[in-house]
Amino acid sequence: MNYLIPLMVVIPITCALFLNLLHERTRTVKIISIIVALALPTIPLIANYGVQYFGGYQPLAQNPTIAVGLPNLITGTALNIFHPAITYVFGSAQKLMIVVLGFIALFAIYISLYEVKKASGVYAYLMLMGTASIIAMLLSDDIFNLYVFFEIAALAQVGIVLVSKVDYNYETALKYMILGSIASPLLLIGIALLLGVTGNVNVTDIVYSIQHGLVNPQSPVLLMACSLIIFGWLYGTGLPPFHTIKSAMYSKALPTGAALLQAFSVFSFVAIGIIILRIFSYLPFAHIFIIGISLVAMTLGITMAITQTDFKRLIAYLAVGELGYIGIGLGLGTALGITAGLFQAVNEAIITAFLFIGFGTIMYKTKETDMRKLGGMLVETPKSALLVLLAGLAMAGVPPFNAFQSKLMLVQASLNSGLPEIAIIMVLLSIVTFMTFMRAFHTIYLRPRPVDLEIKNEKIPNITLVAMVAFLVVCLVFGLFPQIATNFLQGMAMSIA
Amino acid sequence: MIMDTQLASLLTAGALMVIGIFGTLFLDNLIKKVISLAFIGDGANLFLIAMGYKVGGIVYIFLPGMSMSNFSQNASYPLPFALVLTSIVIGASTMAVMLGIIILLNKKYGSLSASKILGE
Repeated sequence: MNYLIPLMVVIPITCALFLNLLHERTRTVKIISIIVALALPTIPLIANYGVQYFGGYQPLAQNPTIAVGLPNLITGTALNIFHPAITYVFGSAQKLMIVVLGFIALFAIYISLYEVKKASGVYAYLMLMGTASIIAMLLSDDIFNLYVFFEIAALAQVGIVLVSKVDYNYETALKYMILGSIASPLLLIGIALLLGVTGNVNVTDIVYSIQHGLVNPQSPVLLMACSLIIFGWLYGTGLPPFHTIKSAMYSKALPTGAALLQAFSVFSFVAIGIIILRIFSYLPFAHIFIIGISLVAMTLGITMAITQTDFKRLIAYLAVGELGYIGIGLGLGTALGITAGLFQAVNEAIITAFLFIGFGTIMYKTKETDMRKLGGMLVETPKSALLVLLAGLAMAGVPPFNAFQSKLMLVQASLNSGLPEIAIIMVLLSIVTFMTFMRAFHTIYLRPRPVDLEIKNEKIPNITLVAMVAFLVVCLVFGLFPQIATNFLQGMAMSIA
Repeated sequence: MIMDTQLASLLTAGALMVIGIFGTLFLDNLIKKVISLAFIGDGANLFLIAMGYKVGGIVYIFLPGMSMSNFSQNASYPLPFALVLTSIVIGASTMAVMLGIIILLNKKYGSLSASKILGE
């Protein structure tokens, strides 16, 4: 039994609840938050790979002492190998993704504690709760458990937006919740249909039932379940038609909150996407649908970013567009494609967090997010300007950064699958991303400063610059040595393909 | 003819969801919208419970003196009932947060109109 696996979820949740009670005690909040934030990437880093059965209930086949005396209709059938308990699986791909999520959460929490004079226990609580939920989604092999944490993550995301004090944050949060209250029950019905047909909520058992003919794979109920689960997936991750509300959520959060929110979206996209692929990949339209919706997300996200005047909203739309690249990789369904998609997910989470925190320095100095009212910031924040420029180049897929490697792998995977059109679209949209980013960079940093722009005479906290340098180092390491990341991801990709 | 219990539950769940979606889309009052959303959630929960129904089934509690094979053949499926409890808790939490936001928005706008507050 590897107790570190459940502790990845249990520690942040327990400490989050504790922090919520301590929200007036700034020093205590800071100390506990820092310790837990450090634990987020450290625990998965030192944990061994393995499987965790909650309550210790292994499948009967692995625990013959319990099976003694049970009737043959249990021990002599597939029930003998089914999983009676909630199961968490911690493999190499989960390790990399949880470490990266923990790394982003670590800096988001650090910066949020040091950018304000009075640390908010509630804000730290929400960030830890959201992070724990996404970690649980990545680990869980149980689709209902995944749904529960999907809902907790949605509430944590709403909370992060509510505490931001940005104009119209309540309105945006309510809209997101109303849409979520329609999409989540539909996802639940999809899960209920799967349960009704297969008698299981464990993904491995559901896949076994389908592959071994225990249920009819062409059953219309399964097709309906597939459609409803995909609908929930679109909502949770901000794919069209939910891209507008999702990007509004990012733009109404503080930069640290937005950095974390987009990481939540990326990793919940991967967690649910992998489950959809594992269960429904036998359906011929599943791959086509994922590729189609990803193309729409890429095109809409990146083209809508061009028209934005608010820089947070611009990054938010670019982030939605980048999700499309991940979806293309998963939708191609080949080992190379899925590896590239997962690698792109890891890269995108880091780069977008880098950009949100980098552009957050502008908000810190000016309290302004409207690019039309900004200018001349290169003189005010030269170090962060350089770092933001590098982050933008990384997002556009310029070598030697990490997204160059993952996008190149995606192009190769598309060509290998006989889909050169997708490769061309991806390259063209990367160019548009580059142009959109450079326009924003020029507007904010390079053009003359508007006379009425007020700039706070306060130094950007060192921790913000340290975080940006750390993100840059990861971008460069994964860009120069992509095999460091892909070695972790290949096992999962080959098991799904 | 008496309708099958499971079918009746599924039809009721469907009706609750349709009423809920209608209310969410077409009612302007935010409180009424939230009540409609609760209808959708309740429909989903009822649907989930209906999945555990077994014709002629018995309660899934193994009592002393029961035959093991009789119990394993006739007990209804307990998993959906356990899942729906979690789902109800999630629904209640979500509704509490939504109502909290609506209270704040009502103070800000002096209205509960979705078209005024959310610009629909």
